[in-house]
Amino acid sequence: MPVQGIRTVAAARNGVGAFILPCKRMDFHYCDWAGSSRGMVSFLRSALPSFAKANPQIEIRVSPRPHKHPVVKGHYINGREKAICVRNLEPEQIFNKANLLKEASGEKLKRTKKPVTSINDSVRGIWSPYHGDIKTV
Amino acid sequence: MLARSILRKALALPFEQTPSSTTLFRATLSTTTSTSTQSPNPETPLSASPRAEFNDPTQQQHQPPVTPSAAIRSASTPYTTPNTSSHIPIHKQPLPPTFESPLKVTSSLLELLPHLVAQRSHYITAHVHAKPYLVTAGDHLRLPFLMANVQPGDVIRLNRASVIGSRDFTLKGKPYIDERMFECRARVVGVDSEPMRYKEKTKRRQRHVRTIKSKERYTMLRIMDVKVKTEEELVKEGAVVVEGQDQATLEVKS
Repeated sequence: MPVQGIRTVAAARNGVGAFILPCKRMDFHYCDWAGSSRGMVSFLRSALPSFAKANPQIEIRVSPRPHKHPVVKGHYINGREKAICVRNLEPEQIFNKANLLKEASGEKLKRTKKPVTSINDSVRGIWSPYHGDIKTV
Repeated sequence: MLARSILRKALALPFEQTPSSTTLFRATLSTTTSTSTQSPNPETPLSASPRAEFNDPTQQQHQPPVTPSAAIRSASTPYTTPNTSSHIPIHKQPLPPTFESPLKVTSSLLELLPHLVAQRSHYITAHVHAKPYLVTAGDHLRLPFLMANVQPGDVIRLNRASVIGSRDFTLKGKPYIDERMFECRARVVGVDSEPMRYKEKTKRRQRHVRTIKSKERYTMLRIMDVKVKTEEELVKEGAVVVEGQDQATLEVKS
């Protein structure tokens, strides 16, 4: 049997070829009775249609959640979800929160020190002490 | 320096684009580079080539060439990838650079340039706001700031680089390589945020402790391609071969 190399599957890197927005769905929950939902209700009436029209790639769901604070939830293509409680917020503030969820990647927030993350092999190879000339200092 | 290294926002692509039959068709037609043909990159508006002649963005608009691939695209898919500047709204078009003189390359550089181009997988040290980032195609880059006026999906072109290299060859700028010698594109993937930071501020002999909070936001990029232009492309775009000292040097690894 001939020797076969290990087959590798190309890792998905969003944005190299096609780009899919990580946020795939947004849920807007509100309450008709509670005062903390007042800003949310006016956001749903006034700003949400234009927001949904500007972002056709995001599925938008609006559902009541009685006797609870209003919540905006984002669902992401990595399977995670982010929820922001928007009680007592003005419609403009809720719009900013919705934009934040739209642009987020869905990953858990981490503090990273290196700006570049790469899965490519090193272009110039790995240094070896057994190859190359003896360098004069 | 900061103002001159500002990136040019080029265009926003539709999110739902998929590598459809049009891109495959294009890949079979041209055999120049494998990386740039397989990705549905917009080519004409983002390349620095024809812009050197025109400083007026309205002069660059021209009719898209009627190709079989364009006909297929219009028939099959409703979403189109903007390939020419006429598809892009005016405010999204890249700013024309102000080049006073054509690109000058020495003949010694042109001798080694085919070797650099042919040796695949390049790295580039791209500078954004005077900070260097060593990246290759496909890398994920988290800028240490929130870039203004960009949306997820936008393609920007990194036009300032100090080093481009392959395994054995290195093109070094003095201090920067002319932006007409390479193409490096990145796509804005989104905005990331760090976890909330808490810092306790105290004063001496005071019991009061003030806690300040901060939460920075960062723009994330994905490097789409790193391409060094060939000698033919440089000459076609108006490069002049000169003798003497050059603005960039090409070195072989010893």
